[in-house]
Amino acid sequence: MDGIVSEKTQIAASWRGVVRFLHKTPRAFLPMREFPVLQLIAGRGIEGDRYLIGHETGFYSHKPEEGRQITLFEMETLEALRRDHGIELLPEEHRRNVTVEGVPLNHLVGRRFRLGEAIVEATRLSTPCRHIEEILGKAVFDPLINRSGLNCKIIAGGTLRVGDAVRPL
Amino acid sequence: MAKPIKTVSTVVSRVEDLGNETKRFTLTDQDGWELPPFKPGAHLDVHLQPGLVRTYSLCNEPEDNTRYVIAVKRERDGRGGSNFLHDRVRVGDSFGVSLPRGGIALNPDEMNVFVAGGIGVTPFISAIRHLERRRRTNYRLHWTSRGWPVLSDMISPAIEAGRVRLYDTAMQPKPAIAELVQEFAGSGFAACCGPEPMLRDFEGAVEGWPDERKHIEMFTPPKRVAQSDVPPYELVLRESKKVATVVPEVGLLGTLEALGIDVAVSCGGGICGACRTRWIEGPPIHRDRVLSPAERQSELIVCVGDCAGPKLVLDL
Repeated sequence: MDGIVSEKTQIAASWRGVVRFLHKTPRAFLPMREFPVLQLIAGRGIEGDRYLIGHETGFYSHKPEEGRQITLFEMETLEALRRDHGIELLPEEHRRNVTVEGVPLNHLVGRRFRLGEAIVEATRLSTPCRHIEEILGKAVFDPLINRSGLNCKIIAGGTLRVGDAVRPL
Repeated sequence: MAKPIKTVSTVVSRVEDLGNETKRFTLTDQDGWELPPFKPGAHLDVHLQPGLVRTYSLCNEPEDNTRYVIAVKRERDGRGGSNFLHDRVRVGDSFGVSLPRGGIALNPDEMNVFVAGGIGVTPFISAIRHLERRRRTNYRLHWTSRGWPVLSDMISPAIEAGRVRLYDTAMQPKPAIAELVQEFAGSGFAACCGPEPMLRDFEGAVEGWPDERKHIEMFTPPKRVAQSDVPPYELVLRESKKVATVVPEVGLLGTLEALGIDVAVSCGGGICGACRTRWIEGPPIHRDRVLSPAERQSELIVCVGDCAGPKLVLDL
């Protein structure tokens, strides 16, 4: 048992990733727009985004969620959708805020990690929603089950830029 | 608990009186952000006020992505939507709209022939602007109207180039639709939007055409995409004491929403469990991927659920 735990810790600590794309949108359903920089506000969310706590204008605002202040998505999933399902999903289409490469998002639930100069804590895996299929007209719901990204809360805020490092604490 | 956001928030940025009892409304995001995309000839629901939702075709083209443009002819004896828009709506008013849906599946290579009656031209204005923007001229519009038609300003270059044929029915007889589409019977695409007699004539003219080469646009609201393949059944909500019939075109979730029941839907695809609801009488049809067999004995994921019998009673 101890061996398994230490192996897991080792794997979790061995990755290093990078921010490839940043997106936000001010209101539910509106297309995501790409930005070179986002401002992360501790305990609240992303400045100007639909899920900023205290200013929610997102699709799910009937059930505010502290753990969805910022959302991440894997670049590798976009590649897998293209490779395995022939679906071209663009970084602005998955509707998460941060597209990262080299970060094992599904392994990070419950952990804290560095996102540029900010620190975030992963609260739960994102679930796909039919809403995305409706908007895009692409059959992505099933292929995105269990790899639809990660919801996080912001422990320490700061500026997040494309190209910033993502790494374990 | 805050209400879920189910519509796109828009602001009326322009109202134009085009004459002939027709007004054109431009809807934009409050900050001019891009709006959700749409296909040429798509339509959307405008939520004018509680209980007053109307569907209109978009006149503008998909590339014009920061506004939705609709044109509304006043129907004095209609159900109230056009009168509300004409009498009450001003620049600066806010409305929720649905995501755009539908559209015309244009043939990229063959001829596209459009037949429109009066204000029924709106989806074709969108399609023509889309084609013209791409420098495509493989279309013809036959457009009947009493007097000079409104909205012609949106396709002026197409009219000047002779790709639009106008028929003033105050001065000349209505065209024979069968003759208009006949030459494209072997190839090409035909679409029609207009009053019922025109639609009937068109349906007759293209009866033998394959479905993918013809399109009929009704003035009446389109049915929702069917989520259900079971026969209609009675839905009884025990707590709120409401009863309705669930038909395949609307589905269980659509029926609950129509009854004003605020179901906490999240994924909409039966995997997150947000809309789990206790059922009392059924048996329900489970299509979710979240409930265990034991849970299914008393609970139902209503976003994908249905009923296998004549009556479903929910604890709502």
